[in-house]
Amino acid sequence: MLELRAITAGYDRRAPAVRDATLTVSPGEAVGLLGPSGCGKSTLARVAALLHRPDSGEVVVDGTPVRRWRHRAPRELRTAFGVVFQQPRLSADPRLRLTDLIAEPLRATGRRASVPGRVADLAGTVGLTPDLLTRRPHEVSDGQLQRACLARALVLRPRWLICDEMTAMLDASTTAALVGVVEDYRASTGAGLLAVGHDRTLLDRWCDRTAGWHTVTPPALVCGT
Amino acid sequence: MRCDPMADPTAVTKTVWRTHGHARRSTHTLRLRVSAALVAVTVLAVLLVPPLVRLDQQAVDLAAKLLPPSWSHPFGTDDVGRDLLLRCVYGLRVSLLVGVVAAFTATVIGTAVGATAGALGGWVDRAVMRLVDTFSSVPHLLLGIFVVAMFRPGVWPVVISVGVTHWLSTARIVRAEVLSLRSRPYIDAAVSGGASRWRVAVRHLLPGVLPQAGLAAVLMVPHAMWHESALSFLGLGLPTHTASLGTLIQGARGSLLAGQWWPTLFPGLFLIVPTLAVAGLAGVWRERINPRRRSELTL
Amino acid sequence: MTERTPVLSVRGLSVRFLLPGGRRVAAVTDAHFDVAPGECLALIGESGCGKSVLASALLGLLPANAQTAGGALLGELDLLTAGEHTLARTVRGRRIGLIPQSPAAHLTPVRTIRSQTEETVARLTGVRGRAALRAAAERAAGRAEFPADHLDRYPHELSGGLAQRAATALALIGDAPLLLADEPTTGLDRDLVDRTVDELRRHVDADGGRALLMITHDLAAAERVADRVAVMYAGRIVELTDAKAFFGTPGPRHPYSRGLLDALPDRAFTPIPGMPPELGALPAGCAFAARCDRATGDCAVLPPLTDSVACHHPVPAAAPEDIRA
Repeated sequence: MLELRAITAGYDRRAPAVRDATLTVSPGEAVGLLGPSGCGKSTLARVAALLHRPDSGEVVVDGTPVRRWRHRAPRELRTAFGVVFQQPRLSADPRLRLTDLIAEPLRATGRRASVPGRVADLAGTVGLTPDLLTRRPHEVSDGQLQRACLARALVLRPRWLICDEMTAMLDASTTAALVGVVEDYRASTGAGLLAVGHDRTLLDRWCDRTAGWHTVTPPALVCGT
Repeated sequence: MRCDPMADPTAVTKTVWRTHGHARRSTHTLRLRVSAALVAVTVLAVLLVPPLVRLDQQAVDLAAKLLPPSWSHPFGTDDVGRDLLLRCVYGLRVSLLVGVVAAFTATVIGTAVGATAGALGGWVDRAVMRLVDTFSSVPHLLLGIFVVAMFRPGVWPVVISVGVTHWLSTARIVRAEVLSLRSRPYIDAAVSGGASRWRVAVRHLLPGVLPQAGLAAVLMVPHAMWHESALSFLGLGLPTHTASLGTLIQGARGSLLAGQWWPTLFPGLFLIVPTLAVAGLAGVWRERINPRRRSELTL
Repeated sequence: MTERTPVLSVRGLSVRFLLPGGRRVAAVTDAHFDVAPGECLALIGESGCGKSVLASALLGLLPANAQTAGGALLGELDLLTAGEHTLARTVRGRRIGLIPQSPAAHLTPVRTIRSQTEETVARLTGVRGRAALRAAAERAAGRAEFPADHLDRYPHELSGGLAQRAATALALIGDAPLLLADEPTTGLDRDLVDRTVDELRRHVDADGGRALLMITHDLAAAERVADRVAVMYAGRIVELTDAKAFFGTPGPRHPYSRGLLDALPDRAFTPIPGMPPELGALPAGCAFAARCDRATGDCAVLPPLTDSVACHHPVPAAAPEDIRA
């Protein structure tokens, strides 16, 4: 159970990006968070993934409140979340080959031995051919890079997936393919999903339930762009 | 309204290709080649001449003092009869060595300080930047003189002097680069993937910073050489018996007034030409690592 | 409909890049299409298929290692052979208005939106005088629904959607007969996408002589405003047909286009298996054959664009296909 209670967070204390947001994701559930661009959904997603410390509010993961964030959060808790971001170009270290990109979480958590097997496995799942794996990010297209980022998010078998506008920059076929990969993963592991986006049709088709931004935060502070 | 292709597709045999190149590219290669050639010549001369040419640069021949350039002495001789060409090469060797070591030291200090400030942020960052600002407000030659004055003349005080005065710009560049990289999602992805702070810094931030730091180091070499020459010219740098370009120019001051131009000119040229060549190469390198050009093909 | 001179007439346009090591990448091969006055043509395809390269070629913004072939006539002028001087003085902004893909990269970061808009108004129209310029800038911003109170902001202070609207406003100032929108809807919310493309369509409808070439991978946006659709795959146009027939019944005829529509969340939501070929290593025959479930031995030969489809075995035009909504 992933619970976000009355989260207020942002990059400037005087002008928080998110105010008083509440959201719950049950185990194995896919929740879509729908809202216009610029309203703070990405900030909320980062808080949910323990990447950003909220100014106030509480995050409860499987009954335990989270006290520490980012590097200070215990490793098992941090790695229980797999995150995919909107812009594949900025989400990939430009110096790493795709195979190293996917293997990086395994190396960081001391599971070097399982690298070749897992990478080959996941690359096949997300649809990356072996010749693409030896390339660097600037030599592959956005769609292929986003596939690699999704593989990276899945490599540690997280219990929770946070997809922040994962498919916003991709075409229809790649979108359908990546959503398919996420759903297959969830079907086999029972992971929960928080999908943030602005495309209602996609979220309705993909997720079990879609929460509009106005239901997550108090209406008085719905932002306009 | 239908669109009918006017050309019969099966008839397309030979396509005529037009280029969209710009003339700029040719000067780019010219600059690159000239700079690279000059740097290569410099390095070769410095490495090969001393062991191969077994003449003693210290050989004093008072009968041949202050001879103008001629076939036996291409650069003439100085006030105690030593061959100036040989002295210039030895001088360049010393200046280059001091310059490279000093530039490297300054870059290492600057990178360490800048990366720490950028990565830790908060009060550490603010404190470090105020320190940088304080150091920047002192004219660096004055600060350099102050530092060398505390020691006896020698190579290491000069290296320390350059290191202490020239780390500032590198620190600023590296800090800016680290700040920009830290906010990228791939750092978030690394944190989420279980990377420790150390791993993020060493595996993700530092490689992003190294090209800029390397470039700063190369650009620093001319600065360091000039700084050393300035200190030696003022008599505060290397001891006068060591032939560095600065001490050579200092020693030649007197003869200039007497009308002997060659003891001043040639060491000066030996200082200017390699620094221009290094700066030219660094400029070409900077254009190449500019991210905008990293991939010329965007679809 | 009377045959009027097309606003843009592209014939045999090919673009290739010369990479170090002698490699050649054929980004666009043999593109033929017209854009008629009063019409919106949507050029759709996956990322990496060469669509943006085509846009760059039309504006003369290709990098130094590019080579072009063929012709692109804008009225009397061939865009591919026109010099930089002609393009800068008469074409960009005045005869072609570009709405760029990433507005953040196209807006000057150190100037406010107001100053950039006023500068563009001053260069492209005859308006002079501070008060008149100010009013014209505000009108121009209003046409793209850019809020007037945000005019004094800098580009980095705007959200993605607002930056896109600012870039659109700048493109509309010159009243260009051809609007070239390069992925104008990336990163925008659905209703903002609708508003943006509606505004572009309004611009075309307002004066019968204008046209819109919209390059996008957003099929819903194309469906909303396009009159005709051109589908691009691996640098070639594989289908060029009427939009209503494409999105409605009888549906697309090329297997790739069918696959693309089937991938939409409001249809079958199934991806096309496999991945597009590398533009540097295109097969000799049909580039889609490897992923096509209708492929036969014929596909080893490149199919020409006949009757609006480039395929050896397109879905027959007459057969009514059920598209699940």
